[in-house]
Amino acid sequence: MKKPLGRRAAVATAAAAAACVLAVPPATAAPSTVWTVTPSPVGVSAANTANVVMMIELVPGNGIAIACSRSSFSGSLRSATGNPATVGTLHAVAFGAPGAPCTSVLGHVTFAPATPWAIAARDHTASTGVTQGHLGDVDLRGTVGACTFRVRGQLPATYTNATGKLAVTGTTGGLTVVSQAGCGDAAPVGASLIITADYLVRTTGTTLAPAIVGTHP
Amino acid sequence: MPGPRPTPRPTRARVRGATIAAFVALAPLLPAAAVAVGTVEVDAALPYVCTLPSGPQQVTVRITAAFPERASAGEEIRPVDVATTVELPAAAVAGLTTPEATAVRAETRLAVGVAQDEQRTEVTWSGTAQPVAVPAEGALVLTTTGDAPSLTTGTAGELVLTAGALAVDLAPSAADGAATTPPSLSAACVPAPDAEGRTVLARVPVGAGASTGTPSAPPPSTTAPSSPSPSLPTDRPAPPTAPGTTRATPDVPTSPGAGPRPGGRGLATAEEEAPGTPAPRPDAPPCVTEKPTPMSLSAYVTGYANVRKLNGASLIPVTCMLIEQGEMQIPDTLPPEGEFHFTTLSPGNLSYQGRKQTPPFTATFLTFDFQPVTATMVLEQVGPITIDTLVRVIFSTFDNHLENTVRAPLVLRVLDVKVNGVDLDVGPSCRTSAPLTSPEPEPDKFPGKHLVLLGLGKIPYGQPAEGYVLTGGGPLTGTVTIPPFKDCGADGEDLDRLLTAAISGPDNHVKQIQGQTCSVGIETPPPDQCTEDRQPLVVPKPER
Repeated sequence: MKKPLGRRAAVATAAAAAACVLAVPPATAAPSTVWTVTPSPVGVSAANTANVVMMIELVPGNGIAIACSRSSFSGSLRSATGNPATVGTLHAVAFGAPGAPCTSVLGHVTFAPATPWAIAARDHTASTGVTQGHLGDVDLRGTVGACTFRVRGQLPATYTNATGKLAVTGTTGGLTVVSQAGCGDAAPVGASLIITADYLVRTTGTTLAPAIVGTHP
Repeated sequence: MPGPRPTPRPTRARVRGATIAAFVALAPLLPAAAVAVGTVEVDAALPYVCTLPSGPQQVTVRITAAFPERASAGEEIRPVDVATTVELPAAAVAGLTTPEATAVRAETRLAVGVAQDEQRTEVTWSGTAQPVAVPAEGALVLTTTGDAPSLTTGTAGELVLTAGALAVDLAPSAADGAATTPPSLSAACVPAPDAEGRTVLARVPVGAGASTGTPSAPPPSTTAPSSPSPSLPTDRPAPPTAPGTTRATPDVPTSPGAGPRPGGRGLATAEEEAPGTPAPRPDAPPCVTEKPTPMSLSAYVTGYANVRKLNGASLIPVTCMLIEQGEMQIPDTLPPEGEFHFTTLSPGNLSYQGRKQTPPFTATFLTFDFQPVTATMVLEQVGPITIDTLVRVIFSTFDNHLENTVRAPLVLRVLDVKVNGVDLDVGPSCRTSAPLTSPEPEPDKFPGKHLVLLGLGKIPYGQPAEGYVLTGGGPLTGTVTIPPFKDCGADGEDLDRLLTAAISGPDNHVKQIQGQTCSVGIETPPPDQCTEDRQPLVVPKPER
């Protein structure tokens, strides 16, 4: 499993390479096609474990930084088949919270996610209990002052059964600005919004983390 | 007309009785709660004093509107057929228009006080007019029409509406339609002393739950429910859309004196009480963007300005700032190696009761270390305010830095002075002889005299932003020189030197706190930034 792109140097130099590695399973592993979620179906909720770090990438690996001290989502997981397979859905996603907005030097950034977003599984490593995949159908509107922008695409992600940690590791080109108004050169169409975040996922109402296991019968 | 009318008639008010009379025979058949009421037409001609470039002038202001004769608690009270007519005497016309002006277009904003028992609020009736020809001689009569915000109150009792200050904006044009110089003129008007006791426009009895009093007849379309409802009535026609009215939503500000409403009761505008309203208006002056564009922002600013000579600080009250956010652009000049830059240049204006100034503020100082002096002042904007923003992206650290420079040409006008509690007449034109000045870091790019305030912020990579951020607000600081005063004094007494000796001088520290902006012009402003009627929700607190 690759480390999340939360480290500064990684953003500048390793984004493209990481994207390729995350998308392609090891050559020796047969792709999983049966995905077993335990329990299934199950409602889940999650909160960030560290600041969510975003960047509107204006030059390779650099741009407008945004930080969110609070972020959360809720949704559901379920067993599925295929590769990639949709093993879950996020019904509600929040970046920022009342009294804890996402901030940038341009001001507080308000995000309005358009859900549902899909949780797609692509590869599973049995020895570590780590599933690689992505968040799909991501659709997010941002507002800062008179600048409004919309990004769409997907976010690479990994899930670790032992801890219930979902690590989102955005990359260049994964989530891009598809429209904007009033942003000028600060959020041009085509620019990437790189999101790096760690969430702790729990079965709703419990302290238990659900498990995702991929197999190839 | 049946039933008592506890409503004292406003000036020249008359009751529209025809509709009521036509249905009086049906009234006994209807339960009281189902009875709709008639309307009261207000037609008030009041003396006002307007401050014009040529000096104060007495003018006649005629205000017409129609109100529901009475209302139930929670029921909408919406003035309709609102018109304001300003009759400018010939002497004023010459001073207000330029020789080449052949027509003039007017806009008015009438402050209307609304009171119920101890509750107070204020709303603005805005009006616009089509251009009218400037008469070769005689008075210029300007009639504006527009929407007035509706009101609701959760408690029973008489609602009293009173005419207050009137702002008149004039846009003269030449015969070819071109704007004249200056392109616009403004006049601030207040009720004349002899209008005292005559400024009440309407008194609307508000019943507890249902309309009270002897039932009067309903209009034909009445389908009133059998019990009162706090929701907006459906049996009342929508207010007419006045010609020339450009704002879809009337501004519904509350006055600084409007207190909280425990339990949501008491005075409120209908817009405030509407379902989904994110928050009530804060305790702050109105801050309405009259004609918003997609780039319009508004924000409140407040803070302290030191007067070094007096060893004291003056509180600049919460002031509305209207901003047009500039396009964020990559500058033509190359940034230093290892950095990426972009900039914006945004114009802004102070806004207080239609004028580009702060609200009046009062400060008491000990002049010459022993004489208590209380002065009431305003800061008047005498040119465009600019907000120059530089964002620096630092490659090596991934940090972003913000440098925000506000340049404001402001004159300090002294309205009133008391020395040891005794009035000192400073006259109507007492002000600094030039705008306040600060050291200008880019004098070639930004010539002229102006106050310079600097806001610095940054976001260390992965951490929340610190300091001043562009639309989120924060501290803006600077140092200002207060120029000498001029035109101070009355009855031949020259107070220029006294005020200059007491106040004027360099190195006065200024610290202003900008609040979160309201993105007025975008389709859906974030609910934590704007009130329902798109005024700033966040009111900053001054810091020293």
